[in-house]
Amino acid sequence: MATAYYEFYRGSSIGMALTDSLDELITSGAITPQLAMKVLQQFDKSLADTMVKQVKTKTTLKGHLHTYRLCDDVWTFIVKNASFKMESNEMVNAPKIKIIACKNGEAIEAGKK
Amino acid sequence: MSSFALPARQITFGRSNAPTQQQQHTFQQQQQQQQQQLQSQQFQQPQNGLALPGGGYSQPAASSGGLALPGPSPLSNSYTPSQGVQATVSTNAVAGPSTPPASTPAPSTPLTLEQQHITAVDGIVPTLQNIVATVNLDCRLDLKTIALHARNAEYNPKRFAAVIMRIREPKTTALIFASGKMVVTGAKSEDDSRLASRKYARIVQKLGFDAKFSEFKIQNIVGSCDVKFPIRLEGLAYSHGQFSSYEPELFPGLIYRMIKPKVVLLIFVSGKIVLTGAKVREEIYTAFNTIYTVLCEFRKP
Repeated sequence: MATAYYEFYRGSSIGMALTDSLDELITSGAITPQLAMKVLQQFDKSLADTMVKQVKTKTTLKGHLHTYRLCDDVWTFIVKNASFKMESNEMVNAPKIKIIACKNGEAIEAGKK
Repeated sequence: MSSFALPARQITFGRSNAPTQQQQHTFQQQQQQQQQQLQSQQFQQPQNGLALPGGGYSQPAASSGGLALPGPSPLSNSYTPSQGVQATVSTNAVAGPSTPPASTPAPSTPLTLEQQHITAVDGIVPTLQNIVATVNLDCRLDLKTIALHARNAEYNPKRFAAVIMRIREPKTTALIFASGKMVVTGAKSEDDSRLASRKYARIVQKLGFDAKFSEFKIQNIVGSCDVKFPIRLEGLAYSHGQFSSYEPELFPGLIYRMIKPKVVLLIFVSGKIVLTGAKVREEIYTAFNTIYTVLCEFRKP
């Protein structure tokens, strides 16, 4: 836990579920808030590592790059009329998406809508 | 101006680089006529008023003949086209003084200039490809604030100490430094360059800085064109050794450092030319007109 990890995966559905569960456990007195924090930190780390090491799925993305930004090693992209082509040849379209990409130790990852 | 330029040129071309001398001549004459200076002041040979461009000072170099069409490859044939060209140049130049362009109202001037130069050399006009300008916003900037709040900005201080920002219209890139100095590149015309610079200044202003728009200056203009015939670079390098550097093992093009106007040309075997180092667009055009006659001479058979 020496290095800090980004906390943005806590906002994902799996992260939200974990936070809710921890909240419940804290209110019921089963665990201390300190322990909950530790769990969340471990979650940040584990998810980052997993994304890098185990997720091999690929998708191609096309669209109009409306805005980009690089600041503090974090890239932000806003892509309009984006269409993802999945490995299964399935197409997913969205009028506007935001991609956040950051360095994670030796790796890079992120994404949210 | 031309009388001022005179001695300098004599020194420069003192090594009897005949063809260049001649072109310089053309240019010179063009200037003379533009400025409507007393021609008698220059030591023009009295042959005829307009003269063969080059009639003027070829005496030192051209021992060959009074016609003053000297050149390392004195095939008189190869010169015929260029002569025609030169004639057009000089008549053309009378049409309008092209020198003070930037100050005159923007929209109409460049067009007429281009028209002038279209006739100048066989309908070939260098296209402007890039204009680099600098602006002083005259206020310290916090680059991180700019990077965080502006769109299309990159700031990676470990790599480069400026924010790199782009806009789509006119399609340009700006480097914005903490000192308030800014470099705007990528514009295709002077007006675009200025407009883009203003837009960047406005963006910075909107982020809450007290940015002004001062000291706008065009630092470099790059143009390119195609003469549509292959060129013997070795021959050119040999006879214009003073100005040329041709190292095909390092770079396939010949680097020609013209003295007047001070423009650097990259000349490729294919006939494609890149002109750079100009501060005003006229320098690109004059440099091209000047080099074109030379290139005709070194046309590959």
